[in-house]
Amino acid sequence: MAPNKPRGHRRYLRQRREPPVPEGHLAVGRILRPHGLRGEVKVQLHTDFPERFAPGQSLLLGPNLEPVTIAASRPHQGQMLVRFHGIQDRTGAEALQGEWLYIPEEAAQELAEDTYYIHQLLGLEVRTEEGQVLGELVDVIVTGANDVYVVRPAPGINRGRELLIPAIAQVVRSVDIQARVLTVRLMPGLLEESPEPT
Amino acid sequence: MGRSLKKGPYVDPKLLRKIEEMNRRGERKVIKTWSRASTIFPQFVGHTIAVHDGRRHVPIYITENMVGHKLGEFAPTRFFRGHVKSEKSSRARR
Repeated sequence: MAPNKPRGHRRYLRQRREPPVPEGHLAVGRILRPHGLRGEVKVQLHTDFPERFAPGQSLLLGPNLEPVTIAASRPHQGQMLVRFHGIQDRTGAEALQGEWLYIPEEAAQELAEDTYYIHQLLGLEVRTEEGQVLGELVDVIVTGANDVYVVRPAPGINRGRELLIPAIAQVVRSVDIQARVLTVRLMPGLLEESPEPT
Repeated sequence: MGRSLKKGPYVDPKLLRKIEEMNRRGERKVIKTWSRASTIFPQFVGHTIAVHDGRRHVPIYITENMVGHKLGEFAPTRFFRGHVKSEKSSRARR
Protein backbone atom coordinates (compact mmCIF):
# COMPACT_ATOMS: atom_id res chain seq x y z
CA MET A 1 0.00 0.00 0.00
CA ALA A 2 1.24 3.53 -0.78
CA PRO A 3 2.69 5.18 2.37
CA ASN A 4 0.41 8.28 2.37
CA LYS A 5 -2.82 6.60 1.33
CA PRO A 6 -5.49 7.29 3.99
CA ARG A 7 -7.09 4.17 5.41
CA GLY A 8 -10.40 3.13 6.86
CA HIS A 9 -12.98 5.78 7.63
CA ARG A 10 -10.78 8.68 6.48
CA ARG A 11 -10.43 7.09 3.07
CA TYR A 12 -14.18 6.51 2.95
CA LEU A 13 -14.84 10.18 3.74
CA ARG A 14 -12.29 11.34 1.15
CA GLN A 15 -13.86 9.19 -1.54
CA ARG A 16 -17.29 10.56 -0.69
CA ARG A 17 -16.18 14.19 -0.64
CA GLU A 18 -18.31 16.11 -3.11
CA PRO A 19 -16.38 18.32 -5.56
CA PRO A 20 -17.34 21.94 -6.15
CA VAL A 21 -19.55 21.98 -9.23
CA PRO A 22 -18.18 24.46 -11.83
CA GLU A 23 -20.09 27.75 -11.96
CA GLY A 24 -23.11 27.58 -14.27
CA HIS A 25 -23.12 23.78 -14.45
CA LEU A 26 -25.01 20.83 -12.93
CA ALA A 27 -23.64 17.40 -12.06
CA VAL A 28 -25.42 14.50 -13.77
CA GLY A 29 -23.21 11.56 -12.83
CA ARG A 30 -20.03 10.30 -11.28
CA ILE A 31 -17.75 7.68 -12.80
CA LEU A 32 -17.26 4.98 -10.19
CA ARG A 33 -14.99 2.39 -11.79
CA PRO A 34 -14.15 0.63 -15.05
CA HIS A 35 -16.33 -2.29 -16.03
CA GLY A 36 -14.94 -5.10 -18.16
CA LEU A 37 -12.15 -4.80 -20.70
CA ARG A 38 -13.79 -2.83 -23.49
CA GLY A 39 -13.65 0.66 -22.04
CA GLU A 40 -17.00 0.71 -20.24
CA VAL A 41 -17.35 2.59 -16.95
CA LYS A 42 -19.96 2.36 -14.22
CA VAL A 43 -21.68 5.71 -13.65
CA GLN A 44 -23.65 6.70 -10.54
CA LEU A 45 -26.59 8.82 -11.68
CA HIS A 46 -27.09 12.30 -10.20
CA THR A 47 -29.99 13.15 -12.47
CA ASP A 48 -33.67 12.29 -12.67
CA PHE A 49 -33.30 11.93 -16.44
CA PRO A 50 -31.30 8.80 -17.40
CA GLU A 51 -31.87 9.65 -21.08
CA ARG A 52 -28.91 12.04 -20.60
CA PHE A 53 -26.79 8.93 -21.14
CA ALA A 54 -28.34 7.85 -24.44
CA PRO A 55 -25.83 7.15 -27.26
CA GLY A 56 -24.86 10.32 -29.12
CA GLN A 57 -25.45 12.65 -26.14
CA SER A 58 -22.63 15.01 -25.15
CA LEU A 59 -21.53 15.68 -21.58
CA LEU A 60 -18.70 17.59 -19.93
CA LEU A 61 -16.06 15.61 -18.08
CA GLY A 62 -14.15 16.62 -14.96
CA PRO A 63 -13.17 20.05 -13.63
CA ASN A 64 -11.81 21.10 -17.04
CA LEU A 65 -15.23 20.45 -18.63
CA GLU A 66 -13.79 18.38 -21.42
CA PRO A 67 -16.56 17.45 -23.93
CA VAL A 68 -17.23 13.71 -24.26
CA THR A 69 -19.77 11.85 -26.40
CA ILE A 70 -21.53 8.70 -25.32
CA ALA A 71 -20.99 5.75 -27.67
CA ALA A 72 -23.12 3.20 -25.82
CA SER A 73 -24.92 2.85 -22.49
CA ARG A 74 -27.11 0.39 -20.62
CA PRO A 75 -28.68 0.27 -17.17
CA HIS A 76 -27.03 -1.99 -14.61
CA GLN A 77 -28.03 -2.48 -10.94
CA GLY A 78 -29.58 0.97 -10.62
CA GLN A 79 -26.59 2.62 -12.28
CA MET A 80 -25.43 2.98 -15.88
CA LEU A 81 -22.65 1.29 -17.80
CA VAL A 82 -21.37 3.84 -20.29
CA ARG A 83 -18.79 3.76 -23.07
CA PHE A 84 -17.42 7.04 -24.43
CA HIS A 85 -16.21 7.70 -27.96
CA GLY A 86 -12.43 7.28 -28.18
CA ILE A 87 -12.11 4.97 -25.16
CA GLN A 88 -11.75 1.37 -26.28
CA ASP A 89 -9.92 -0.41 -23.45
CA ARG A 90 -9.80 -0.74 -19.69
CA THR A 91 -6.66 1.40 -19.36
CA GLY A 92 -8.50 4.35 -20.90
CA ALA A 93 -11.50 3.71 -18.68
CA GLU A 94 -9.34 3.54 -15.53
CA ALA A 95 -8.12 7.10 -16.19
CA LEU A 96 -11.71 8.35 -15.83
CA GLN A 97 -12.33 6.81 -12.41
CA GLY A 98 -13.69 9.31 -9.86
CA GLU A 99 -14.44 12.02 -12.45
CA TRP A 100 -17.77 13.85 -12.51
CA LEU A 101 -19.95 14.46 -15.54
CA TYR A 102 -21.64 17.85 -15.95
CA ILE A 103 -24.07 19.69 -18.19
CA PRO A 104 -24.49 23.46 -18.61
CA GLU A 105 -27.19 24.77 -16.26
CA GLU A 106 -29.28 26.11 -19.17
CA ALA A 107 -29.45 22.56 -20.62
CA ALA A 108 -31.32 21.30 -17.54
CA GLN A 109 -34.67 19.69 -18.24
CA GLU A 110 -37.85 21.70 -17.79
CA LEU A 111 -39.68 20.43 -14.69
CA ALA A 112 -43.38 19.83 -14.08
CA GLU A 113 -45.47 22.21 -11.97
CA ASP A 114 -44.64 22.19 -8.23
CA THR A 115 -41.36 20.38 -8.93
CA TYR A 116 -38.05 22.10 -8.28
CA TYR A 117 -34.39 21.18 -8.43
CA ILE A 118 -33.05 20.42 -4.96
CA HIS A 119 -30.30 23.05 -5.31
CA GLN A 120 -33.02 25.66 -5.96
CA LEU A 121 -34.79 24.73 -2.72
CA LEU A 122 -31.73 24.76 -0.47
CA GLY A 123 -31.42 28.05 1.39
CA LEU A 124 -35.09 29.05 1.08
CA GLU A 125 -36.58 30.87 4.04
CA VAL A 126 -39.42 28.81 5.53
CA ARG A 127 -42.42 30.78 6.79
CA THR A 128 -45.89 29.96 8.05
CA GLU A 129 -48.94 31.37 6.28
CA GLU A 130 -49.15 33.91 9.12
CA GLY A 131 -45.66 35.15 8.24
CA GLN A 132 -43.74 33.63 11.16
CA VAL A 133 -40.19 32.73 10.10
CA LEU A 134 -39.43 29.10 11.00
CA GLY A 135 -35.90 28.88 9.63
CA GLU A 136 -33.87 27.99 6.57
CA LEU A 137 -34.22 24.89 4.39
CA VAL A 138 -30.85 23.13 4.61
CA ASP A 139 -31.43 19.62 3.27
CA VAL A 140 -33.89 17.36 1.49
CA ILE A 141 -34.34 13.75 2.66
CA VAL A 142 -35.51 11.38 -0.07
CA THR A 143 -37.54 8.73 1.75
CA GLY A 144 -39.22 6.62 -0.91
CA ALA A 145 -42.55 8.16 0.13
CA ASN A 146 -42.77 11.97 0.30
CA ASP A 147 -39.58 14.04 0.37
CA VAL A 148 -38.82 15.64 3.73
CA TYR A 149 -37.41 19.17 4.06
CA VAL A 150 -34.92 19.71 6.87
CA VAL A 151 -35.19 23.22 8.32
CA ARG A 152 -32.52 24.81 10.50
CA PRO A 153 -34.72 26.59 13.05
CA ALA A 154 -34.77 30.32 13.65
CA PRO A 155 -34.07 31.31 17.29
CA GLY A 156 -36.89 30.19 19.59
CA ILE A 157 -38.44 27.77 17.09
CA ASN A 158 -38.90 24.06 17.88
CA ARG A 159 -36.73 24.30 21.01
CA GLY A 160 -33.70 24.83 18.78
CA ARG A 161 -34.04 21.40 17.15
CA GLU A 162 -34.11 20.91 13.40
CA LEU A 163 -37.60 20.87 11.98
CA LEU A 164 -38.65 18.18 9.51
CA ILE A 165 -41.41 19.16 7.09
CA PRO A 166 -43.11 16.60 4.81
CA ALA A 167 -43.27 17.83 1.20
CA ILE A 168 -47.02 17.27 0.82
CA ALA A 169 -49.75 19.62 -0.36
CA GLN A 170 -51.38 19.92 3.08
CA VAL A 171 -48.16 21.32 4.53
CA VAL A 172 -46.21 23.01 1.70
CA ARG A 173 -48.58 25.75 0.52
CA SER A 174 -46.34 27.62 -1.90
CA VAL A 175 -42.78 27.87 -3.14
CA ASP A 176 -41.44 31.16 -4.46
CA ILE A 177 -37.97 30.57 -5.89
CA GLN A 178 -37.53 34.22 -6.95
CA ALA A 179 -38.40 35.58 -3.50
CA ARG A 180 -36.55 32.63 -1.84
CA VAL A 181 -39.55 31.81 0.39
CA LEU A 182 -41.31 28.54 1.12
CA THR A 183 -44.69 28.92 2.83
CA VAL A 184 -46.01 26.12 5.02
CA ARG A 185 -49.09 25.31 7.08
CA LEU A 186 -47.87 23.31 10.06
CA MET A 187 -49.91 20.27 11.04
CA PRO A 188 -50.49 19.68 14.75
CA GLY A 189 -47.62 17.60 16.09
CA LEU A 190 -44.93 18.81 13.67
CA LEU A 191 -43.44 21.23 16.17
CA GLU A 192 -42.14 20.13 19.57
CA GLU A 193 -45.04 20.79 21.89
CA SER A 194 -43.40 21.42 25.22
CA PRO A 195 -42.21 24.98 25.93
CA GLU A 196 -38.62 26.00 25.34
CA PRO A 197 -36.45 25.08 28.35
CA THR A 198 -35.29 28.07 30.33
CA MET B 1 -39.13 -17.67 7.26
CA GLY B 2 -42.23 -15.49 7.11
CA ARG B 3 -44.45 -14.63 10.02
CA SER B 4 -47.23 -17.09 10.88
CA LEU B 5 -50.49 -16.33 9.03
CA LYS B 6 -52.42 -17.18 12.18
CA LYS B 7 -51.00 -14.11 13.94
CA GLY B 8 -51.55 -11.71 11.05
CA PRO B 9 -49.24 -8.79 10.23
CA TYR B 10 -47.47 -7.10 13.13
CA VAL B 11 -48.44 -3.61 14.21
CA ASP B 12 -47.70 -1.81 17.44
CA PRO B 13 -51.06 -2.02 19.28
CA LYS B 14 -50.66 1.49 20.77
CA LEU B 15 -50.05 2.98 17.33
CA LEU B 16 -53.06 1.20 15.82
CA ARG B 17 -55.23 2.33 18.76
CA LYS B 18 -54.17 5.97 18.29
CA ILE B 19 -54.87 5.88 14.54
CA GLU B 20 -58.29 4.28 15.01
CA GLU B 21 -59.15 6.84 17.66
CA MET B 22 -58.19 9.68 15.26
CA ASN B 23 -60.20 8.06 12.46
CA ARG B 24 -63.23 7.95 14.76
CA ARG B 25 -62.85 11.64 15.57
CA GLY B 26 -61.95 12.61 11.99
CA GLU B 27 -58.78 14.22 13.33
CA ARG B 28 -55.43 14.65 11.52
CA LYS B 29 -52.22 15.15 13.44
CA VAL B 30 -48.65 13.89 13.25
CA ILE B 31 -48.05 10.79 15.40
CA LYS B 32 -44.52 10.01 16.53
CA THR B 33 -43.53 6.37 16.63
CA TRP B 34 -40.41 4.35 17.28
CA SER B 35 -42.06 1.23 15.86
CA ARG B 36 -40.32 0.85 12.49
CA ALA B 37 -41.37 -2.82 12.35
CA SER B 38 -45.09 -2.00 12.28
CA THR B 39 -46.91 -2.95 9.09
CA ILE B 40 -48.88 -0.17 7.39
CA PHE B 41 -52.58 -1.00 7.67
CA PRO B 42 -55.34 0.44 5.45
CA GLN B 43 -56.51 2.51 8.45
CA PHE B 44 -53.24 4.49 8.27
CA VAL B 45 -53.90 5.91 4.79
CA GLY B 46 -54.08 9.72 4.80
CA HIS B 47 -52.28 10.08 8.13
CA THR B 48 -48.81 11.51 8.64
CA ILE B 49 -46.63 9.35 10.88
CA ALA B 50 -43.25 10.54 12.16
CA VAL B 51 -41.04 7.43 12.07
CA HIS B 52 -37.86 7.34 14.13
CA ASP B 53 -34.67 6.94 12.09
CA GLY B 54 -32.42 6.45 15.12
CA ARG B 55 -31.93 10.19 15.66
CA ARG B 56 -35.09 12.07 14.77
CA HIS B 57 -38.66 11.46 13.63
CA VAL B 58 -39.13 11.63 9.85
CA PRO B 59 -42.70 12.63 8.89
CA ILE B 60 -44.14 10.24 6.32
CA TYR B 61 -47.50 10.75 4.64
CA ILE B 62 -49.16 7.35 4.18
CA THR B 63 -50.71 6.57 0.79
CA GLU B 64 -52.62 3.55 -0.45
CA ASN B 65 -49.70 1.94 -2.25
CA MET B 66 -47.68 1.83 1.00
CA VAL B 67 -50.15 -0.57 2.67
CA GLY B 68 -48.46 -3.87 3.58
CA HIS B 69 -44.98 -2.35 3.81
CA LYS B 70 -43.24 -1.60 7.13
CA LEU B 71 -42.96 1.96 8.44
CA GLY B 72 -39.18 1.64 8.70
CA GLU B 73 -38.85 1.22 4.93
CA PHE B 74 -39.67 4.91 4.51
CA ALA B 75 -37.32 6.43 7.10
CA PRO B 76 -33.71 5.89 5.95
CA THR B 77 -31.22 5.38 8.78
CA ARG B 78 -27.97 5.99 6.92
CA PHE B 79 -26.01 9.20 7.11
CA PHE B 80 -26.20 11.21 3.90
CA ARG B 81 -23.57 13.86 3.24
CA GLY B 82 -25.76 16.31 1.37
CA HIS B 83 -26.59 17.11 -2.20
CA VAL B 84 -24.12 18.16 -4.87
CA LYS B 85 -25.60 20.76 -7.24
CA SER B 86 -27.16 18.30 -9.64
CA GLU B 87 -30.11 17.63 -11.92
CA LYS B 88 -32.08 15.97 -9.06
CA SER B 89 -35.51 17.36 -8.32
CA SER B 90 -38.03 17.35 -5.49
CA ARG B 91 -41.76 17.62 -5.83
CA ALA B 92 -42.80 20.21 -3.30
CA ARG B 93 -46.49 19.29 -3.31
CA ARG B 94 -48.39 16.11 -4.14
